[in-house]
Amino acid sequence: MKLKALLAAVGVAAMTLAGCAVDHSGQDAAKPTIRIGYQTFPSGDLIVKNSKWLEEALPDFNIKWIKFDSGADVNTAFIAKELDFGALGSSPVARGLSAPLNIPYKVAFVLDVAGDNEALVARNGSNINSIADLRGKRVGTPFASTAHYSLLAALSQNGLSANDVQLVDLQPQAILAAWDRGDIDAAYTWLPTLDDLRKTGRDLITSRQLAKDGKPTLDLAAVRTEFSDAHPEVVDTWRKQEARALDTIKDDPDAAAKAIAAEIGLSPEDVAGQLKQGVYLTPAEVASAEWLGSDGKPGNIAANLESASQFLAEQKQIPSAAPLKTFQDAIYTKGLPDALKQ
Amino acid sequence: MSVFVDITPDEAHVAKPAAEARPRHWRGRLTRVALPLLSVVVFVIVWQAAAAAGIWNQTFVPYPATVWRAFLDVSTTHDGVRGYAGYLLWEHLYMTLRRVFVGVVIGVALGVLLGLVMGSVGWVRSVLEPWLTFLRALPPLAYFFLLVIWLGIDEAPKITLLALAALPPAAVATTAAVVAAPVGLQEAARALGATRTQVIRDVVIPSALPETFTGIRLAVGMAYSSVVAAELFNGIPGIGGLVKDASNYNNTPVVLVGIFAIGFSGLVIDGLLRAAERRAVPWRGKL
Repeated sequence: MKLKALLAAVGVAAMTLAGCAVDHSGQDAAKPTIRIGYQTFPSGDLIVKNSKWLEEALPDFNIKWIKFDSGADVNTAFIAKELDFGALGSSPVARGLSAPLNIPYKVAFVLDVAGDNEALVARNGSNINSIADLRGKRVGTPFASTAHYSLLAALSQNGLSANDVQLVDLQPQAILAAWDRGDIDAAYTWLPTLDDLRKTGRDLITSRQLAKDGKPTLDLAAVRTEFSDAHPEVVDTWRKQEARALDTIKDDPDAAAKAIAAEIGLSPEDVAGQLKQGVYLTPAEVASAEWLGSDGKPGNIAANLESASQFLAEQKQIPSAAPLKTFQDAIYTKGLPDALKQ
Repeated sequence: MSVFVDITPDEAHVAKPAAEARPRHWRGRLTRVALPLLSVVVFVIVWQAAAAAGIWNQTFVPYPATVWRAFLDVSTTHDGVRGYAGYLLWEHLYMTLRRVFVGVVIGVALGVLLGLVMGSVGWVRSVLEPWLTFLRALPPLAYFFLLVIWLGIDEAPKITLLALAALPPAAVATTAAVVAAPVGLQEAARALGATRTQVIRDVVIPSALPETFTGIRLAVGMAYSSVVAAELFNGIPGIGGLVKDASNYNNTPVVLVGIFAIGFSGLVIDGLLRAAERRAVPWRGKL
């Protein structure tokens, strides 16, 4: 009797809990849903999300924003067909477009280009004054990130390989801890951790410099090919909102900082500082030959992705680099540059 | 890693008429060896079929052959590349086992000591039990970052994490075993003139040992299931670090190789512990 009562209680509890997930997304079952994966690096994505521009522009769709912590997770979600749009770094995109993943998605927007917001910093007192001095030292960076890519690019510029330094796989918050304890001599990481490191260290090179030297790292937005074929008009609307967000960053940085700050839980002042250090293109630049290119003429970004793919092949993370053609085919240029005009 | 209760240790010692024993003996051995092997074969066939069906992407369900090739790549030096991230598979595994060993030895030693004290002295148990339960409820990932801040990024935080994971099961099992030591035997020893120390040494500890061993096996399992968390930062070389790094690159075959390596070594370790237990406490179940 008691056992039966207990089982009944458990059953009722399970049913109630299953029905009462905490969900504030306001989905309407009658409308199709667009799933957008975003990350918390400061970008136009967060302005679009915070200002609900997509929800306004696409009233016939549910918009579901899903937060991700790394490009690898975004790739996984794309493979599982759980995402229509996703924000991820150039390195994960290069990996996703190469074999064996061959994810059917297209690069449809450049969210930002890494500038002074990602940098290689050496700790004061470690006697490191140039990248060449890093030989044999311990350098922390989050593996598989754009910073990892930039670090190895900076090393090879100076004739060093990954084996000449002791690379340590650390997430930004752990880099700060290891730095304070003196466990690492240098680190390649991004804001806001980077600003803390700069208090007791100095920049050896920033991603802005690497971009000038032909090794840019970017944050891109990708769209699932199947989705863009079925709903080109939605992709157009989405691109317009992203372009609007870039304009906001340029024309009204305070409003941009406020919207982004609300999404990532930092103060607007901190975010404004971060926005200054990143490189945010204008919509016209996004559609220029240097980046996405124009309709039918994929821009230079394909070459950047190819170079990232070659780098991954050298790192033995993919069997072989994909050809340039693969990346050119994977740039969504439809209607560019006019599609970005308001 | 789960704990199996051993119910067949005495089979070989029971005297049986020779003629009848032989076929049964063989049948027993056949079921013990053939059935697990058969289940592995069935598993591989189902896996191959699932991969060949093409319902799922290769990233989710790679072919067994792909995983085998990844295993060979990770275990050898090929095209001038040494294993995965510069270390061979056995080196990854060795580093992890070393960490687990040190962590478990510290955790179990402290846990068993704590359990003995908690089981024998009532007020200590009242003081420590909530703390132990608190620690037991914490997922290692939740506090690993604190260990990194306090102890750095080298071996210390990893070993501490594994020790913290191993301590509670050993302590809880030992406490329970000590509390459950038969009062009749204790009183009999007392009546025969044994001191408190002698009672604990000659009655309580021997009767508590079998259950303590179960606790140790659970502790090893807990520590082993925390290796990926322990090797989250600076985990290479290490099998947990390998799994984490490969999953960052969506490199499923290598992730599976790592998972198999962890699982198989877990089976071997548990087998060794069970053998040690049979040797050390042959009186299990006979008290």
